[in-house]
Amino acid sequence: MRNSVKVARVKKDLTQQQLADAVGITRQTVSLIEKGKYNPSLKLCLQICYAVGGTLDEIFWVEEEDF
Amino acid sequence: MKKITDERLVLRNLQNTRIVYIVQTFGILCILGYNLFTSGIDGMRDNPIWLVFMVSAIVSAYLSMSISVEHEKKIRNPKKSFIISTVITLVISIIIAYFVSITPESGLSVGILTGVIILICFLIPNIYIYRLRMKQLIDLDDLEE
Repeated sequence: MRNSVKVARVKKDLTQQQLADAVGITRQTVSLIEKGKYNPSLKLCLQICYAVGGTLDEIFWVEEEDF
Repeated sequence: MKKITDERLVLRNLQNTRIVYIVQTFGILCILGYNLFTSGIDGMRDNPIWLVFMVSAIVSAYLSMSISVEHEKKIRNPKKSFIISTVITLVISIIIAYFVSITPESGLSVGILTGVIILICFLIPNIYIYRLRMKQLIDLDDLEE
């Protein structure tokens, strides 16, 4: 599913590896989440939000027509 | 070795385990099939792999029960279902015990033993399903509160 992880990560000046290390996942998983090819669990979504300093709404919300 | 914390990899690991289980079960079935072909049903049962196969089949059946109970659309009264299934089990085991005891080769004791074994074998899953349904009922009550 589409998300704004990449934008939020770049804004926070983090590399994929740094974000991966911060939330305890691999860089490949970060890449797949950013591409929308892997749907993270709610727990992981929250961890990513905490790491990039955003809210679930800003980073993971998808409008109904884009769902 | 470092513990895997990545949920995607944990999930993939589980999927890999499923593939390994399928391959293993296929191998066990091939060995048992070969044994059945070469030394008959008794020869197949003598193989310890038969025991492994039966234990895994029973574990799989019990795990499936917990899924089936949660998948039931209509919420049943656990006590009523338990009483009905226990009465049916009791009737079936009494009928089987009666027919076994009147056969010429086996006596009354063998008949009673067969009946008791059948009763226990059906009673344990009945109790297990009753407990699962009771647990589900409590969980649903918690959700509604």
